[in-house]
Amino acid sequence: MADELQHYAVSPADWRRTLRQNNYRTYIIITLFFLIYCAIGLLVDMYMATTYYPQATIPQLFHALITFKIFPLATSIMLIIAGVSLFVSYILYDKLMLLGTEYHEISPGNFQSVPEQQLYNVVEEMKIAAGLRYMPKVFIIDADYMNAFASGYSEKSAMVAITRGLMEKLNRDELQAVMAHELSHIRHLDIKLTLTASLLSNLTIMALDMLFYNAIFSGGGRRDGEDSRSRNGLLMIIVVLRYLLPVISVLLLLYLSRTRELMADAGSVELMRTNQPLASALMKISDDHTQNRDKYNAEYKQTPHENVRREAYIYDPTQAGIESVASVSELFSTHPSLEARLAALGFKIKK
Amino acid sequence: MTLIIVLILVAIIGYAVLCYNGLISQIESVRNNQKQIDIQLDRRFKVFESLINVVKKYMDYEQTTLKDVVALRNQAQQAQASGDEKTRIAAENKISNIASGLNVVFEQYPDLKANQNVMQLQEEIVSTENKLAYAKQSYNDSVERYNANKKSFPTTLIVSAFSAKVDFDFPYWQLSEQKIAEQESYTVQL
Repeated sequence: MADELQHYAVSPADWRRTLRQNNYRTYIIITLFFLIYCAIGLLVDMYMATTYYPQATIPQLFHALITFKIFPLATSIMLIIAGVSLFVSYILYDKLMLLGTEYHEISPGNFQSVPEQQLYNVVEEMKIAAGLRYMPKVFIIDADYMNAFASGYSEKSAMVAITRGLMEKLNRDELQAVMAHELSHIRHLDIKLTLTASLLSNLTIMALDMLFYNAIFSGGGRRDGEDSRSRNGLLMIIVVLRYLLPVISVLLLLYLSRTRELMADAGSVELMRTNQPLASALMKISDDHTQNRDKYNAEYKQTPHENVRREAYIYDPTQAGIESVASVSELFSTHPSLEARLAALGFKIKK
Repeated sequence: MTLIIVLILVAIIGYAVLCYNGLISQIESVRNNQKQIDIQLDRRFKVFESLINVVKKYMDYEQTTLKDVVALRNQAQQAQASGDEKTRIAAENKISNIASGLNVVFEQYPDLKANQNVMQLQEEIVSTENKLAYAKQSYNDSVERYNANKKSFPTTLIVSAFSAKVDFDFPYWQLSEQKIAEQESYTVQL
């Protein structure tokens, strides 16, 4: 047993249950995002409809829209916009992830050292264990801090990237556990999922914003006597949602990304059939970040666009107090705490 | 009313089609994973060949070893061709033993150990044995998924309806009873 884990009591990790539970949670969250998006679309439609039917009540309008008596134009347009922007972001996403880093790809035949060869082998072993059909591209980021991430919206275009620091400081088993975690992200299609969720939530907030300003500023231009009750009611809802919804969607997104992290941890145990290497790798990464906080803070800061990768990293640098990565809207960690992750892996602190 | 009945029928048929297609893709992934084991066995042989070629320069050890590996490999391939799994696995296991023997030999030759090629090949041996083990694990996982799906309700209805196409009995990869007993009583002697 590794030194890092001597203060922990071990129990077997039930990865099957963790996977099932978190899968279920994901369905709920994605459905919620979709429903919220449609609800905002309907809100826009209802608001527009009050112009033509000033006397109709809110439930009447709602009923007319969902039974297509009034065609829900705004909702349809918003769904089309969502579809197109998802498609475009899927195409551009891979280029985005390595933005700002110094990196090089490794492949058989151009290994510069034995550790690089070992890294590639480890990824290939995990690819076999996961039964993936395509070998992901492997990139090394030239940085001292220990981190890794996976990207790609399908098995075919998948890639894993790992910092030189991580490659050099972990032993073979720990490296394997980290890569198993990353490959689990790929086979669970997490990148696609979080991308979809965050895009939907951004679009929702944008639509709501437009509606909000429209409602506030066009209100003065209305002729007297056209004032309808349901319009005022809707206006209230819009104002409340304008301030409430961004908070709700940030919380939902964080919950989603934490859920997926726990799933990837469980996936790593599933592939390796042992929970110890991942636990000790996580401890090493966390300790290393705490020890070299100031140095890494500067390094993360020097790398532009670090917030693009934050969610995808195996370890959230903000957890070690490295703030250069976090932006104002992200007060909370995208990852579960180290204790929570170790507990899910079956390692509990001895009292 | 008839509309509702038609809709329900369409839904049931659609579900049945999805189940059937799911089973087919699971069967194919089991078969693919089965072949993955063969691919890894083949790869391992090639790695050993190149390893022994490098070691050749340093000692006489290799001549007989190389011959052994080639002989075992032929034995394994013949057994595979004639469908004799038992002999085949025995031959492959003997190659594994030679591999671990080679790693011990390395320890005795300091300049061999420092050789970059040998270091790379040592990494390859470790990786090759791992890949073989993970290929077996992956095969068993796909058998698990297929069996669990096949035996669960309501998929089992579809399996009985199309048993010729979707009902297969894939064995889990495992050691024989005798082999398990042997391995369990095995201790390392230094």
